[in-house]
Amino acid sequence: MPSKEMNLPNYFLADLPPEATLSPVMLSEACQTLKRNRERYLAGRSTHQLVKVLSDVAEAWMKPDNAFRKLVLERGPAETGFSCETLKRGLDDFFRQVTPENLHALLVQEFGNARRLDAVTATEVEQKLSRAAMAVGPEFLVHIAAGNIPNPTWMSIILGLLARSAQFVKCASGSAFLPRLFAHSLYEADPKLGACLEIAEWRGGSVALEDILFGEADCVTATGSDQTLAAIRSRLPAHARFLGYGHRVSFGFVAREVLSRSNAPRITARVADDVVAWNQLGCLSPHVIYVQSGGELSPDKFAELLAEELERREQTEPRGELPASHAAGIASRRGIYEVRAAHSPETLMWHSQESTAWTVVFEADPRFQVSCLNRFIYVKPVKDLTELLQHAEVVRGKVSTVGIASPEHQAEELAAQLARWGATRVCPLGRMQNPPLTWRHDGRPALGDLVTWTDFEMQ
Amino acid sequence: MNLELSDFAARLRETMLSEGRVIRGPDLKDEDGDSCSSSLRNFDALALELFALQFRYNAAYRKLCEAQGVTPGIIEHWKQIPAMPTTAFKELELSCIPPEERTAVFHSSGTAEQKPSRHFHSVESLAVYEASLWSWFAQNVLPDLRFTIYDLRLICLSPPPEQVPHSSLVHMFETVRSRACESADRSFFGTVASDGSWSLDFDAVLAALNSSLVPRPPSLVLGTAFSFVHLLDFLRERDLRFRLPPGSRVMETGGYKNRSRAMPKEELHMVITERLGISRENIVCEYGMSELSSQAYDSVAGDEWRVTGKAVSCHPSPVTRHFRFPPWVRVQIVSPETGQEVAARETGLIRVFDLANVFSVMTVQTEDLGVRRGDGFEFTGRALFAEPRGCSLMMEGSALSLP
Repeated sequence: MPSKEMNLPNYFLADLPPEATLSPVMLSEACQTLKRNRERYLAGRSTHQLVKVLSDVAEAWMKPDNAFRKLVLERGPAETGFSCETLKRGLDDFFRQVTPENLHALLVQEFGNARRLDAVTATEVEQKLSRAAMAVGPEFLVHIAAGNIPNPTWMSIILGLLARSAQFVKCASGSAFLPRLFAHSLYEADPKLGACLEIAEWRGGSVALEDILFGEADCVTATGSDQTLAAIRSRLPAHARFLGYGHRVSFGFVAREVLSRSNAPRITARVADDVVAWNQLGCLSPHVIYVQSGGELSPDKFAELLAEELERREQTEPRGELPASHAAGIASRRGIYEVRAAHSPETLMWHSQESTAWTVVFEADPRFQVSCLNRFIYVKPVKDLTELLQHAEVVRGKVSTVGIASPEHQAEELAAQLARWGATRVCPLGRMQNPPLTWRHDGRPALGDLVTWTDFEMQ
Repeated sequence: MNLELSDFAARLRETMLSEGRVIRGPDLKDEDGDSCSSSLRNFDALALELFALQFRYNAAYRKLCEAQGVTPGIIEHWKQIPAMPTTAFKELELSCIPPEERTAVFHSSGTAEQKPSRHFHSVESLAVYEASLWSWFAQNVLPDLRFTIYDLRLICLSPPPEQVPHSSLVHMFETVRSRACESADRSFFGTVASDGSWSLDFDAVLAALNSSLVPRPPSLVLGTAFSFVHLLDFLRERDLRFRLPPGSRVMETGGYKNRSRAMPKEELHMVITERLGISRENIVCEYGMSELSSQAYDSVAGDEWRVTGKAVSCHPSPVTRHFRFPPWVRVQIVSPETGQEVAARETGLIRVFDLANVFSVMTVQTEDLGVRRGDGFEFTGRALFAEPRGCSLMMEGSALSLP
């Protein structure tokens, strides 16, 4: 949407009217401007100042009368397909976390000391060894964003600012809306910071444009399929650092001990939170909920209760409209499960009437199944976590988050087992798509991976 | 042999033969005001009769109908007949033919990792398939040649039927060959690689194209869109162009599922014209699948008004070429959200009611998206992430599971 219609100034390439085509020359100039601005306005900033700007902007996004928030809630449903309620919750869940305390905790976690990006400093241990160090971010950071949900892109921008990098965010075509409004909010809060950021969108694979970016980049982050990542990596100059985030899937596990009738509403509500958040489109959203057999509530009964909960959610937090091709995917999948259910009691299905808004499929077959998402969730019975992991072998190494509901004393053991198996995050059900700021993306330190260290050995 | 189904099949073949003589014209409306491409006015009665038979003799189908609470006694219109998803042909034996009477089985194309659809046939059901395909093929691809001697030079860009006995498409090509071509020349120019994929014997195709240059009857080139891309890439690399005799024509079909190189339709047709010298109005697209026994075509060869849209008052402009099935088939475009028929010009899933599927399931729910256009439909794409299947396939190229 042209920025005129939204009353936004033309700060970013993504603000240009849709008929404007980007040229390599324009892009090249944009890169030089970003680098210049970084040198002038960003390189010398203190972490303290940056944390203040970021947390102030985040706080503003939480306020009901914030202009950007209002714009998202007003235009977002048409621009992104998410309903107003889903967007509202997504905004709150994300920006609530961007506080000075959490940013501080992130810096300490990554660097051992929150001032590492400001000066040569030392931790206690380092002092004893007469050592100190400083971390320096890349001068020019390029993000190739996938764009089905905005959180990873917002987070990338925040990390890039902390690292004092000039940033170019390339959004997938049609997905710049939410990153762009965040960028505008930064620009409004601090125009000089905003001038170190560029947002553009085009269809991936535009070699002439991307070659310009890649040629200038010191570091490139990208999200996408393994093929996409391999293609990008092969086009980068040798000196550029590449941080690729490939496809990930997530699932849930409900232990039998917590499956009492009194507990069930609480747990199904949490699972519904995870299914509804960003319409299940994130890597951290569950495809399957594994329910341990032998509890007071059977796995298929759990599925039925979950269906009832999803129906309630549809009333308060509707999914929103889908493009025909995606709705058709859901309809087609339902078609096959309807046939299976007609033939065998081992398949059961519940779904919204007269719409594709939500679907719960219970299958006795415990093999992991990738969902078509948009609130389409599988429930499968399983004997225990060990058996679950055998049936999830096909996605081993590609699992991001496992949401669990279990007695407290079991949780740590489950987490250890999942860690050894290769899952990179274990959290309570209900928080899957809402990781803390300090989350290690795909098991890697997201901020730490951006920087280069300079070690200083004292005389 | 099931006498009731046999009787139905025999009557239907009679109908096909007589309908085959009906010349296509502007839209006609049937008794419901539905657009239809001909005067098969007893479609509803035939459909309800066949539904009752399939309900009785196709156990796997009956279970689905019962789960939906639909039985022959309670429905009153063909539109109420329950549809079987194409994917179900992969999991169930959707056939009224007892195993000992089955003589052929057609598989859907797809990658080796997926289970293919299985459409079982007997001698009798193949006869229906052949009558159906030939009648409509002749009307659409060979309209001007229908009453002359067929001695076309046939070039099929597929392996011969004995190498791919499970291809309904190649069975169709072979049926066309046996009825339209008298020459004993080689007609099939494809080969099957060890991984099951098809490729072309380029030298032989070149020889056939070259031999088509001397004054002689027109050529008829049949193949999948992908096989044409394959051939055209080869011709482009060598900078070869042919001008096939006047009246030559092309029928191409199908998409590029999981293929390495896809080419937009318009471009494909331009390059066919450029490299084979066959003009646009003599390029006919087919829409078909192994789960059906009839095909749709997007134009009648040589029929220029269907290409340009000029002088066609009943078509809303702009006219795209749209697919039309024969009179014994009806299409519904249904909303993925509600399962109900969508309004004109809205996109929905294509549901096909094919009477020629006498011995399997008449009503098939495809995973294809389309829009109703006049008396036919336009194919607009495929349902995304429709099929529960191997994770590796879902992970690659899926825009869904991103971080």
